Amino acid sequence: METLKVAATLDALTPIRDFIESATEQAGLDEHAAWQVQLAVDEAATNVIQHGYNDSEPGIVEVSCQIANDELMIVLRDWGRQFNPDDIPTPDIESPLEERQAGGLGLYLMQQLMDDVRFEFDAYHGNLLTMTKRLQRAKPTIAAFQLDGRLDAVSTEHGLSGVREAIAEGTKYVLLDMIKVTFLNSSGLRALLLLRKELLAQGGELRLCGLQSRVYEVFNLTGFTQVFTIHPTCEDAIAAFEQGAL
Amino acid sequence: MEVTHKRYKRTDVLSVSGRLDAASAPQFKQTIDALFDEGRYRLVFDLADLEYVSSPGLRVLIEARKRARNWKVTDLEGGDVRIANLPPRIKEVFDLTGFTSLFEIYDDLTEAVGSF
Repeated sequence: METLKVAATLDALTPIRDFIESATEQAGLDEHAAWQVQLAVDEAATNVIQHGYNDSEPGIVEVSCQIANDELMIVLRDWGRQFNPDDIPTPDIESPLEERQAGGLGLYLMQQLMDDVRFEFDAYHGNLLTMTKRLQRAKPTIAAFQLDGRLDAVSTEHGLSGVREAIAEGTKYVLLDMIKVTFLNSSGLRALLLLRKELLAQGGELRLCGLQSRVYEVFNLTGFTQVFTIHPTCEDAIAAFEQGAL
Repeated sequence: MEVTHKRYKRTDVLSVSGRLDAASAPQFKQTIDALFDEGRYRLVFDLADLEYVSSPGLRVLIEARKRARNWKVTDLEGGDVRIANLPPRIKEVFDLTGFTSLFEIYDDLTEAVGSF
C-alpha cells in the first residue's frame, strides 16, 4: 500500500492529484474511470481541508491506495473533527434554482463516481474514508456455439469440431448453447469435460446455457453441476463472461 | 484556472479555462462579485476551455445565478447567468448534479450573448 501524507491545505490538492494519477495508471483504469476517481478523491480531500480542521491549526491528510481483488481502493485519513455523512442532507438534484442548496454536492459526487464509499471514525484513528473503484476487465471475445440433438460419443466430437477450430485460432471463452440438445450420455459428458479442461489450461472458460431439464438431470446426477458453469440463458452466460463471475 | 473578461454593451462574458476547484473557486467568485458590484448582472460564462470542475466551482456557479436573477429591471427583465459551451467532462458533472436543468446552456457563445 502506497501512502501520501500532506498538510491539509488547498496546496495539497495538486500532490494528491499526482499521487492518484499514478495509482489509476497502475490500476490500468481507462481515462474516464481515472477522471471519476480523481474527482471523487478531490471532493473528499476538499472536504477534509475545508471542514476537517480549524483554520488556525491545519492538520494532516493521509491518502493511501491499494490495488487488489480487481479493485482500486483509496483510503483518506484525517485526525480532524468527526465527519458523519448522515449529517449531510442528500442534495435534491431535481429542485429548481431558488430552492437549490449549493452544499452537499461533494459527498453526492463521491457516491456517484465510486462503486463504494464508506466512512468510519474512532477517537484514536480519526476519520477513515474508504472508496473503491472496480477495475473493468477488457471484455473477452466470446465464441458461442449451438449444439443440437443427441450428444453421444460420435455426435459430440462432431458437434464440437467447430469449437476445436475456434480454440486452435485462439478463442479462450466458449459458450455452448444446449437448448436444442435432447440427450446426453457419459461420452458426451466426457467430451465436454475435456473441452473445459483444455480451455482452463489456456486461462479461458467454458460456460453452458439453456439446458433442457432431461439434460440438466444428467449433470445433476453425476455431480457435474458442480464442475461446469451452467446458466439458464445465453444472455446470463454472456453477462457472466463479461463480469468474470463464477 | 484563468478567467478572461470581455465586456459587451448589455452583457459581460467570462471565459474560464483550466481547473475550477477548491483552490481556484474563490478567485472566480471574486471576479464575478466585482461585476455584480458594478451593477453588471447579465453574465455569460464561456466554459469551452474549462478542463475540470469540482463542487466548490459548482457552488460558485449556482450562487452567481441566484444573485444575478435577484436583480430585476422590470418583472420581465433582469439579470441572469447563462452558459456557453459545455465540454463533455463538464457536462457529465452537470448531468450528475442536475445542473444541466438549472442553467440555460448554449452551444455557441454568440447565441448565449444574443440571448440577453
